[in-house]
Amino acid sequence: MTVFHFFNCAILTFGPHAVYYSATPLSEYDTIGTSVKAAFVYLGTALVKLVCLATFLKVSENDSFDPYQELLKAVIGFIDVAGLYFALTQLTHRNISQNHKFQAVGLGWAFADSVLHRLAPLWVGARGLEFTWDYILQGLEANANLLLSLSLAALGSLMWIRKNKPKTLIPIIYACAGIVATMPSITSYLMRGLEWHFPKVVGFELFTSLVMAFISWQLFAACQRPST
Amino acid sequence: MATTSKARQREVFESMYSVIALLFILVACVEVLDAATVVDVYRLIQYDLAGVPFGSRLASLNHHAGSSLFSPGTDLSRTVLVLPVRELNITFIREFIGQRQPLGGLLLLLPRIFSSENRGSMGGADQNSGKELMRNILMELERLLIHANIPYPVYFAFEDDNIDSVLADVKKNDATGQPATATTGGYKLVVSAPEPKKLISPTMINIQGWLPGLKADGDSNQLPTIAIVASYDTFGAAPALSVGSDSNGSGVVALLEIARLFSILYSNPKTTGRYNLLFGLTSGGPYNYNGTHKWLQSFDQRLRESIDYAICLNSIGSWENELWIHVSKPPENAYIKQIFEGFSNVAEELGLKVGLKHKKINISNPRVAWEHEQFSRLRVTAATLSELSVAPELLESTGGLFESRHFVSEAAIIRSVKLVAESLARHIYSHHGKNIKIFADDSSLAINPSYITSWIDLLSRTPRVAPFLSKNDPFIMALKEELADFTVDVNLQHESLDGIFTFYDTTSARLNVYQVASVTFDLLLLLVLGSYLIILFSFLVITTRGLDDLISLFRRPPSRKAKTA
Repeated sequence: MTVFHFFNCAILTFGPHAVYYSATPLSEYDTIGTSVKAAFVYLGTALVKLVCLATFLKVSENDSFDPYQELLKAVIGFIDVAGLYFALTQLTHRNISQNHKFQAVGLGWAFADSVLHRLAPLWVGARGLEFTWDYILQGLEANANLLLSLSLAALGSLMWIRKNKPKTLIPIIYACAGIVATMPSITSYLMRGLEWHFPKVVGFELFTSLVMAFISWQLFAACQRPST
Repeated sequence: MATTSKARQREVFESMYSVIALLFILVACVEVLDAATVVDVYRLIQYDLAGVPFGSRLASLNHHAGSSLFSPGTDLSRTVLVLPVRELNITFIREFIGQRQPLGGLLLLLPRIFSSENRGSMGGADQNSGKELMRNILMELERLLIHANIPYPVYFAFEDDNIDSVLADVKKNDATGQPATATTGGYKLVVSAPEPKKLISPTMINIQGWLPGLKADGDSNQLPTIAIVASYDTFGAAPALSVGSDSNGSGVVALLEIARLFSILYSNPKTTGRYNLLFGLTSGGPYNYNGTHKWLQSFDQRLRESIDYAICLNSIGSWENELWIHVSKPPENAYIKQIFEGFSNVAEELGLKVGLKHKKINISNPRVAWEHEQFSRLRVTAATLSELSVAPELLESTGGLFESRHFVSEAAIIRSVKLVAESLARHIYSHHGKNIKIFADDSSLAINPSYITSWIDLLSRTPRVAPFLSKNDPFIMALKEELADFTVDVNLQHESLDGIFTFYDTTSARLNVYQVASVTFDLLLLLVLGSYLIILFSFLVITTRGLDDLISLFRRPPSRKAKTA
């Protein structure tokens, strides 16, 4: 029965990525190559981040919230944004529309993130007899992460690829991108500084990811109107 | 050129496949060890007596936890009952076992004070009455379990915080009428132990030490011998917990102290007596003193005839002011009179009381209740000194569950040692009737209380069921070394246990307690996730491609059929 539980948690964690790919026109235009390249860029980014963290971060004995360390972690988190910029602009993509490009990149990014951070704990932990809610919460977190990656990719493509944007929306775009990029720091502050429990943090993540996705969708649609 | 590049590509793919396969194998070997609680448990003894099976016949366990015999709707054959001994109702258990009702397993929780790791002292009057009650419950429980044939695993564990909280949870679940089964979740108790195997040729090891006396010049006769004997092994419901502090740890400690005192006296030729002293630590006590019998049979005829008398020590650690001397020769016998008078004189001086009990030997009855009976059967005068006034039954008073350190008092052992040592010394040095204290307190021959305390502590931590002690067991070596310090000619005698007893292994294991979710929960979760993914899919198709596309997914394409037709 426990392999059953592993299977359940696996489809919760990785199912939405597959569903997103097959449901949207991404599958029709065969953008799998873009997603795979984005996943590899994520891998490279993660390695660079690991090296930076190991070099600059001190290991603290207690699990308290140290502002200086968290600030350092946030700065290193911006390497993520740099990686996304690289994936969006520098990789040579086939001739696919901008609309689909950011979706493919965001999808590949989120999938790589889920696999790297959540597959190993799932395999080792969810197969045991002992039951905990942790893996289901982790799956929900993966869903929220997918939405956040897509929003960040959308905002990123707006910032760096689209050239003619309405002037009033530019600061909003940058502000939203900043919020989405610093989401990891915000969640770790909630968990350590305010000592929220894991279910509460996951709920917060889901809520903010929905809000951010909606906002970026509106921004993207708004920016698209002048060109059509 | 194209073919070589293709072949190279294929090679690369194949090596990738093998790497992936290796990765899969490695990943599949990851052990899953994540129980909520792991507890040390000790199994009920499993043995055959003349071919008739007794005790718990199984070792491995894998069922849900339950807390009561009478919850409605529980399938008891798939439940492990977790019962604290404190709240046990013996009559229910006796009926349950007597009617051979099926059960998945039984886990009995012993109070924390019986754990050998518990160093706290017990005091207070209400604690004493609680002690007595607990002692009675455990005695009855042990008697019941040892003499029953139980076809499911029975384990003992000590109460601690983890298992207490698990039990409280299980009780709560049972109270709501939802006992744990595969479909409703709860706790699962798993013990993975191998199938218990018979112990082939279990051995009993007798240890003997010899203190030779001083022969007078010109005396060619052999010196008479006095033997002091105590059996050191135990038998109980849980062999891994049978430490037998009183039965017969107290006897062993007393024997060692007496050996130490007499070795001081015998180290100087001026104070060496005209008697040899033979010290024997025998095994096989619970099994009709089989070891003593074999030890005596191994003696030379001359040695056996030279034994004046033997004193056997059995359970002298928890008495207040009365000891009993058990004999099998009638009290009118001159030798018995002499021994008894010697003891009672010393007892009077010490302010104690010693009574004499006579029990005739029935040669046709194989039951040997006291150790001195083995001597008497070979026509050697012997007596057993014990706090018990009645002969114990087979496999009773042999170091069971309730025989923990707390029920033994060093003061009682010290009193016994004083009694025996002074009586022996008066006999050896012919001081009959004289009021001379050889082993007075504050003398160089004073009894050493810390010696007694340290040895009784060691004995209370060492389970000593004979079939489970190997030939080179460190405890037996320790006894041998200790006796070698005080005596000469220390010998180990290895004998095999009497044929009618057969023992099985696996005496302790680790219990894993898992909190499991029910199958219905998993199915529900699958349903919820399936519908979530389907809704997500439909939502995405509708928003990105339009509703027509969604409907067209379910309509069979008509053109293909037209083509084939």
